[in-house]
Amino acid sequence: MNGQAACWSCGAAHRVDAPLCEACGKVQPVPPHRPGEARTSDKFAMLALPRSFDLDDEALSTAFRALSRKLHPDRFARATPQERRFALEQTTRLNDAHRTLRTPAKRAEHLLELRGIHLAGERESAHQLPVQQPLQMSMEFLEEMMEEREALLEAKHGGGGAEAIAKLAAAMELKQATTLARVGEMLRGLDAPGAASIESVAEQIARLRYYERYLDEAHGRGAEG
Amino acid sequence: MLFEIAEPGASRTKEACAVVALGIDLGTTNSLVAVVQADEAGSGAPRCLSIDEGSALLPSVVHYASGSSDTQPLVGRAARRLLASSPRDTLASVKRFMGKSGSDAETRRLTSYEFAKPLPAQSGASSDDSGSVRFLLSDGREVTPVEASAEILRTLKSRAEEALGQSVKQAVITVPAYFDDAQRQATKDAGRLAGLDVLRLLNEPTAAALAYGLDKKSQGTFAVYDLGGGTFDVSILELKDGVFEVKSVGGDSALGGDDFDRALATHLLAQADAARSSAPSKAGSDPKRTRAAIVAAREIKEKLSNAQLLLSDDPTVNAESLTREEAERVLDVGLVVSLDDTQPGEQQFRPPILRSAAPALRVTMANFESLVRPLVERTGAACKRALEDAGVRAPSGLGKDGGRKLDGVILVGGSTRLPLVRRYVAEIFGLEALRDLNPDEVVALGAAVQADLLTAETPQHDVLLLDVTPLSLGLETMGGLAEKLIQRNTTIPASAGQEFTTFADGQNGMDIHVVQGERELVQDCRSLARFTLSGIPPLPAGMARVRVEFRVDADGILSVSAREMFTGVSQSIVVKPAHGLTDDEVERMLLSSIENAQQDLDARMLIDARVEAQRIQRATEKQLEENGDLLEASERKQIDEAVARLTAAGAGQAHRPILDAIEKLDRQSKEFAERIMNRGIERALKGHSVDEFHGQIGAHAKKALGVE
Repeated sequence: MNGQAACWSCGAAHRVDAPLCEACGKVQPVPPHRPGEARTSDKFAMLALPRSFDLDDEALSTAFRALSRKLHPDRFARATPQERRFALEQTTRLNDAHRTLRTPAKRAEHLLELRGIHLAGERESAHQLPVQQPLQMSMEFLEEMMEEREALLEAKHGGGGAEAIAKLAAAMELKQATTLARVGEMLRGLDAPGAASIESVAEQIARLRYYERYLDEAHGRGAEG
Repeated sequence: MLFEIAEPGASRTKEACAVVALGIDLGTTNSLVAVVQADEAGSGAPRCLSIDEGSALLPSVVHYASGSSDTQPLVGRAARRLLASSPRDTLASVKRFMGKSGSDAETRRLTSYEFAKPLPAQSGASSDDSGSVRFLLSDGREVTPVEASAEILRTLKSRAEEALGQSVKQAVITVPAYFDDAQRQATKDAGRLAGLDVLRLLNEPTAAALAYGLDKKSQGTFAVYDLGGGTFDVSILELKDGVFEVKSVGGDSALGGDDFDRALATHLLAQADAARSSAPSKAGSDPKRTRAAIVAAREIKEKLSNAQLLLSDDPTVNAESLTREEAERVLDVGLVVSLDDTQPGEQQFRPPILRSAAPALRVTMANFESLVRPLVERTGAACKRALEDAGVRAPSGLGKDGGRKLDGVILVGGSTRLPLVRRYVAEIFGLEALRDLNPDEVVALGAAVQADLLTAETPQHDVLLLDVTPLSLGLETMGGLAEKLIQRNTTIPASAGQEFTTFADGQNGMDIHVVQGERELVQDCRSLARFTLSGIPPLPAGMARVRVEFRVDADGILSVSAREMFTGVSQSIVVKPAHGLTDDEVERMLLSSIENAQQDLDARMLIDARVEAQRIQRATEKQLEENGDLLEASERKQIDEAVARLTAAGAGQAHRPILDAIEKLDRQSKEFAERIMNRGIERALKGHSVDEFHGQIGAHAKKALGVE
């Protein structure tokens, strides 16, 4: 999605998925999704942020608020129905971009998507894109996770109490943080010579999903008290 | 009408500022209307209009005169004065019934106990549970909550027009953040019925924060604790750079001051029965007595709270209602009430009187607080969850570890006048609440600001509100599981899409069932809509691809579309839920979601595992049938055994053995799958279907392990 488009209002050329026309400031329509094309559009570019795993939270929030003030439908209460529709579509896209980028794990997944690697789950249509081999996790990792989950279930049912659960959660959070740091390192060095293969980065990122799910369960229990 | 005959010159200036949009707080107990107008000081501060006997508060009470359907119903104080004498034809707290069906828990709770006859019962023993609840008046007329609310809105509109001296068409109406789609739709309908163009339904805590944020010109992260007459809401917001961003909302749409009144009224009735020492009357069998107990309970609650507020010099207390001396005595000895010593036909309720003697029905602050404490403490869980969802930590330590710090707490709603509530809020957040703005007015003030933002050419305040979906939105999938597409607390407008596939070979239609709620099982969530996508081409199970898309616009209205990717067959709908709830879903949804998290999880894992087991079994059997010749007899036997073990495991109640059996079958048939694939390539067929089939086992085994 790197083509150019003309502004519907002033005719100036702009990047095809730019939310606003740089020349006249008008909200642009979201480019239609063409069959056979990946749905992935660059969420960093939308917020005019560098495409990097090391995103500054405050910079992201600031950019999100500033762009919201320009795009939100409430700012177009007296505009034409067409502009209101553009505003709605672009704000929906903006909210989605913000949601993805503010979580490090989702941000990492998006960086992979931009390189054409999609983790299983939110799959693209199989017949329109090359079929992708779903990522196979190593047997060791799966076994390790099974053991972790058993320990968690035991803590919950076996009466280990909140303390035991908190301990398990803390251990898992440490794993999560370590993996996240590793993913960050791998992503940073991806284009350097001798870098980790993109598949190995994907595998690490996929692990984060397992950790996240595990922590959801551990904390879900914690919310009861 | 008056303005049309004004002078030409004058009318031009009028036009420039004529279009005023109202901010309306349609409350359970009281309703208010506020506006923002350009003023000489240029502050553009919102203000509440005086609309009922000199007050900004219009009691949300509607009285229908018996047998005179032609006359306009009475609304406000005039109606409230008739609550005790005409309990059946005087409707109070109708907001609690908005979007509810005749069989909702809310109606059962009331009919079964204090409102049995006083508040008109639902339309007879109607078996039609899908429609809205109806109040049956004593002359046989039926009134829906939407119609009664429309009467309140109509009164607000006409009195605002009187106060402003101009006609008004547009309004922003506030709703509890935790209102679901049906309740929002009902509120919108009431607005339309009252002749208003509803620009937006604004969440009450958001409105309050808007008013506060503008008043204090502050930045930071705030919690809004909103405990009204019938609902409880908590919201966490961040105010920065002219953007009010709601981070999370939570609450209980059936908890409020009314419940405090009921708890005390129940206690009073029991005490009165005991004191009379006659046969206890059946609760609810005497509507006037029940009503009297509720009215008395409310007065006791207010008097006790006012006494405490007065003595602590709270700025929001009406100092004229009580002297310091009286306040001290109230807190010292309590209040005394009598429910029973009246003649039939006369006013059967006397307001609580101050007496130092101590007959049976004496209520002290300590009595009252011990009765309502469990109710107040119910708000704590929602506060905790909202903080965690927002990634915020309160000074008390509640919330997310290492999260952003909470800067302040804003109190909204009449029930936050209770000293017990204030102590509880200070305790759970570790912060004293802001209380510079009148908690009764603050919601309407915020609504007026938003109304101005949405209509004025040059709004008085340059701010933007970003709100969220209060409850998760999802779809029913195989096995009765709810697959969430849009998580709760997602900033709106929002969209999400996911691909689903068919379960059976040749399946040519797919039921799309849209649900709202946090629970894992569809039966525990609120059903919003159903439709069927038909015309899916006949394909082997798991091959068809249906992409379902959810879109939530800036008003929070959901639309859903489904599209089959091979043929492009598509269906879409805007979700407009029926007003009726078939049972107490909302209550269950709100209260049991946390309690049942573990039970849900176990059930979900079992169902997931069973569905997966069935799918794999079918696929394997199919492959054995078609390609069984690729196997040696011994290999065939091993696979058959693995299938048999899976069948046995599937009949059990635990998910783990099923997963183990799936994994064994998965390994056992790996070689087989490779041979099939090779054969497929050789035959230049769609070789990847088997490849996919095998990938799915891995993927689904992972899913069963707890990974999407």
